[in-house]
Parts: sequence; C-alpha cells; structure tokens
Amino acid sequence: MKEQYFAGMDIGSRMTKVVIMGEAVLSSHVVSTGPEQRKLANKVMEEALAKAKLSFDDLTYVVATGYGRINVPFADKQITEITCHARGIGHLLPSVKTVIDIGGQDTKGIKLKDGRPVDFVMNDKCAAGTGRFLELMAEGLGVELEDIGKISLTARHRTVLSSTCTVFAEQEAVTELSKGVPVEDLLAGLHEAIAARIYSLVARLKIEKDIAVTGGGAKNIGLIKALEEKFGYPVVVPPEPLVTGALGAALLAGDAAREAAGSGSPLARSERRLNEARFF
Amino acid sequence: MTEQRKPRKHATEAAGRIAPMVKAAISENLRAKEEGKLVAYTFIVCAYDEIIRAMDIVPAWTENYAAICAVKRDAQRFLEKAEAENFSRSLCTYALCGLGFDVWREELGAMPPDSPWGGQVRPDMMLGSGQMICDPRNKWYQAVQHYMPDVPVYEVGLPWPPYEKDYDYREVQDYYIKYIVEQLKGLVEFLEHQTGRKMDWDRLGELVDITDKTWNMMWETYELRRAVPTPMGTGDAMNTMVPISFMMGSQEAYDFYKDLYDELQGKIAAGEGVIPDEKYRLLWGGGLPSWFALTDFNYFNSKGAVFPVETTYRIIEAVYNFDIDLEKISDPLEHIAWRWLKYWTFWYDKARKRPGSHPDVERLIQYIEDYKIDGVVMHEAFSCRTWHPGLIWQLNQLKKVYGDIPSLILESDIVDISSYSEVDTHARIDAFIETLESHKRG
Repeated sequence: MKEQYFAGMDIGSRMTKVVIMGEAVLSSHVVSTGPEQRKLANKVMEEALAKAKLSFDDLTYVVATGYGRINVPFADKQITEITCHARGIGHLLPSVKTVIDIGGQDTKGIKLKDGRPVDFVMNDKCAAGTGRFLELMAEGLGVELEDIGKISLTARHRTVLSSTCTVFAEQEAVTELSKGVPVEDLLAGLHEAIAARIYSLVARLKIEKDIAVTGGGAKNIGLIKALEEKFGYPVVVPPEPLVTGALGAALLAGDAAREAAGSGSPLARSERRLNEARFF
Repeated sequence: MTEQRKPRKHATEAAGRIAPMVKAAISENLRAKEEGKLVAYTFIVCAYDEIIRAMDIVPAWTENYAAICAVKRDAQRFLEKAEAENFSRSLCTYALCGLGFDVWREELGAMPPDSPWGGQVRPDMMLGSGQMICDPRNKWYQAVQHYMPDVPVYEVGLPWPPYEKDYDYREVQDYYIKYIVEQLKGLVEFLEHQTGRKMDWDRLGELVDITDKTWNMMWETYELRRAVPTPMGTGDAMNTMVPISFMMGSQEAYDFYKDLYDELQGKIAAGEGVIPDEKYRLLWGGGLPSWFALTDFNYFNSKGAVFPVETTYRIIEAVYNFDIDLEKISDPLEHIAWRWLKYWTFWYDKARKRPGSHPDVERLIQYIEDYKIDGVVMHEAFSCRTWHPGLIWQLNQLKKVYGDIPSLILESDIVDISSYSEVDTHARIDAFIETLESHKRG
C-alpha cells in the first residue's frame, strides 16, 4: 500500500510551525508569524514540503491549529491547540498527565487521561506569564531572548518585581537596572514571578505527574527551573517543544484518515490547492 | 457609542417577546413619573415585589437597566462616568453603570444624550435588599444618595440560615421568619409613610397567591426542557427570566409562563429542538451572563451544544415541593418569609446526606442527572465579588463528590465589554467542545 503523508500546521501568535509526516516525521519547519506569514501560510507549507521532498498533492490530510488556524484555507480540518498539544505529548511522552504550553500570547494547562484531553485552562486576557512578556522584558533589559534563561541561572539573589502588568513590569525592571541591580537577578525574579503565575493557573486542574512543558517558553531553562522549584519536582520537556502542537495536528490528520478508512466513509477534504488566506 | 449588532436568534417565540416587554416597562416608568406616581429603585429577587405592587409603587429595576445598556453595548460611557467620580472599576459593574447614569442625569437635570430606551427614571425612593449574596444591594443606593440627597433609601435585610453540614437549620428557622417578617413590616410602614396610604392586606394576599401560582407554572414549564432534544436553551432563558424577576405578583407574569408552557409542549410533540442535531447537553452552572455577548449561546449551538438548564435566574422551586404547606399560611408577610427561606434552604437536606457536598453542588448534581448533562459551563464575572468567586470551588467540589465531568469557565464580566474577547471566548468554547467529544469517545 502506498505510504500516506499528513501535515500539521500550527499558526501561533509569534511562530508558525509545520510538521510533515508519513510513518515518521519527515520534516518540521518553524518561521516567525507576521502579518504576511499569517496571510501566506501556503508559502510556509511549501517550504516544509520542500524539506520533506514532497508536493502538496502528496498529502492525504492537513490539520491546522493555533490562533491562526482559520487562516489556512487549504486545511482539511481545524482543531484547537488543546487537542493537538495533548495528541502530540501523548505520542512523545505517554506517561504525561499534565501539559503546560507556554505560547507567545497565552499559556494553557491541559489535563490528559490516556493521552486524551479531559480538562484545560487558559490564561485570561493578560500578557503576563506568556512568551511575549518574556520577549518584551528581554528587549527592555537589552539581552537576547535566547540567553535570558541561562543568564538567570547565574543570579545570586532574586529581585522581586511587584507589578504583574507587562508594561509596568518592564518599567520597574529597567528602573531597578539603573539602580545597579544585576540583570541576572532581575531575570531570576522575573522567571520566578512567571512560574508562580503559571502555577496558580494550572493548579485549577489538580496537577498530576508527569508534567510536560511545551511551546516556546519550554526552551527557556531559567523558566523551567523556576517551574520545577514551584512544583517541587522535575518537569519534562520534549526535544522540540515548539512543534508539539504541529506534531499533534499531523498525528490527528493521520487519525482522521485511518478512522475514515476504518469506517468506510470518504475523507472530507478541502480543495487541493495551496491558496493564500483572504481576509476581505 | 452604541455598536449595532445582529440580534440573537431565539428558539422560542416567547423569548422573542421579551425585549419589547422590557422596553415597554422602561417607557411605563417614565410615563408613571410624569403622571405623578411614585417610583422606587429596587433589585430583583428582593422578595417584596408584591408589597411594592400592593402599594401602587412603580418599580424601576436598576440591575435591569444596566444590563440593557450592556446588551446595547452602550454601557462604557456610564462606567467611565462613575470612574471619573472615583468609584473603582472593580466594583459591581451593574452598580457602576447605574451610578454613572444617575450622576450624569443629575448633572444635566435631564436624561444623558441618547440614553438607551429613553433612560432610567429618577426615583422617589430607593429600596435596598440586603442579602448574603450581594453587597451592592446595600451599598449601591447609599452611594447614589450622595448625588440625590432628597431621595430616601430604605434597607431591608433578608437573611436565611447558613448551611451547616451537621446542623438542621429547622432548629432556628422560626427566629429567621420572625426577623424577616419584622423587616417586611418595617418596609410596609416606610411605604405607608411615603405614599400617605395604608396597605390593602387583602390585595397583598391576592398578589402573593398569584406569585405562588407563577412560581409553580414557571417550574413546570422549565422542567419540560428535560426533553431530548431540548425545546429551549439558556440563551432564551436569559430572556424569559424577565417576568419572574421584574413582574412578580402580576397576572401577566403567570400568563407569560403559561404561554411558554404551551409553546414548549408543542415543540416537544413535534420533536423540535433548539438545534436539529443536539450532540452535547450542557448545564449553565452559575454566573450571570455577559449581557453584551448573548450571541455566544448561538455559538455553542453552532457547535452542536445546547443548554437545557441553568442555575442562573432559576430562582424558584415549585412551592408544593417545599416541606411546608404555604397555602396554610394566611398572613401575607409570613407567607413571603417562608417562601423566601424555603427556597434558599431547599437543597440543604440533600447536601447533608452526601459527605463533602454543599447545597449549591447538590443542585448541580440534580440538574446533571435530571437533564442528562454532558458538561458544565460557568461564567466568572470579574466585577462580581460575592457570588462568582465561589463558582470554581463549587465546580471542584462537584468533581470531588460526584465525579469527573467536562467543565468550562468563561472569564469576562456582566456589563464591562472591555473585559471580553470574542476570539478568546470562542477559542475556549472550541477547545471545550473537543474535550466533550473526547469524553464521549471515552
């Protein structure tokens, strides 16, 4: 039987991620989401397909997820990040019962049972505790986003920031910096504050071990350490935490195809054309 | 300014009648004032509706007017007006909206420009309704009085015995009844003084009887929603609450529920549900709605989800289900007092039988079982600091004492639209629907 190929596309507020898979993952592709990329999801898909040496016609089924999932006109199905992250983690780390996804504009907690999502929480309309918050703080403190985790681990003291508002916290951090407070102490305090905020959100789910952290925030070692301290035990991070949702989407695409084949019903698919999104 | 929105689709003809009824009531308040009748600001679930009517006082429901401003997406300017007077934005936004409106009207000596539905009438008195669930019922009108010092405020305190798992409230219920009756007597004296008329006790007795009949009719009507598919959802119930909340003690309220009863029976006989393909049956387990976003109920419907039942505004229980025969209580004030106390304590006995439970949790369990519920949705309104914060605890207890059931907490407000994001709300609803599906697949 000819091998089937599936794609998962996760358009987040900051990053767009694509996973192409057959029996195994063939390619993954991550680019920044900007106004253009949101419109040009087709271009990102083309790049991911080129990496996998496939054409769009080779794909059996495409699932889109993330905030921009409605901007993927060629997706066969839209599924929320909650289900996609659950599926992705269930595949990679079957022992995980709680997932924390720290994305660009929101943080989610997902409770899993046998790899299925059974409950979830999402942060309110506030940027504190999200990837965007970290980005702005890194910018304000004049350090690279990629470095803030490592830098924070060298802190000797944690500076407590009283504000939880992104704008005021940045202002407060810059003021502290001008007073001579070392940047590593500020970053350590910042990570501790974010970990506390994430903990109080996810605690609503009645946290169960193992805990996995996904999304861009999972690449920040300072934040991971702060979370582990808050939970009181280690958390697990998948090898490519950024693409967990896209991986889950691709796996769900495969599930849909197998389910349709099993039931003998046709697989409902959208037009096989890589169109760009039209908003108006 | 008012944002034009498509009106929400109703499942029942009765729900579609509500907006014109409310608009007519607001106009009637303004006309009554012109005709020299006495108008009172007051609250829903005050328990003394019949007393006001028997004294021929026209009630102006201030929470209702704030909700109208919110539905019309025209509340922000009134909230800002109150904020400019140094009232905190984190106070109850019903109260803030009302305060902003009143301050503005007092400044102008006329209705604020383009007031929704002609504006809220200037009252002749303000009747507080102190309860255990809501502090603005005491403090709102006291704050308004700073701007209308000539308008008297009368506070009525209506407690009920708090729930204790190892204590039968019946041991103290007589003391509560005595207290409530004294409070109601005080109100009657105040109103007699204001109107210069004596209470017509026979008329009050008749109005109390009409309310009992209306409670029973509404309860029987809502119980019809157990049908699969359900003929009416919570979106409609957020409208059909109007007669029981604002027209108690009137034949019109009874007739409304009788009409709704007949309509629902017709729909059930025809197999007609809120939506053609009902996949998920949800319980609106608490929280006032975001009045500016009632179309979210339609969004749930578009995903195959319906709400056959809600705890919000179902502020009745058939009086014949109480452990006391209200018909035997001839004194109308005592009658009102017993009806009040028995409603609030109705779930106590059940809760005491289930370790770790609570009356509010028992109510959720009862509805989950009676209405074949798949999931629970609640709304946590940031500006309600009394009822809403306890909802998450109720949900946690429900899962502890009853079992796991999918749940969704929506976060926004009742009036303040700046707390709301349609994209976020719909994203949560989408994820919740997937969770429900995941549960069903087991």
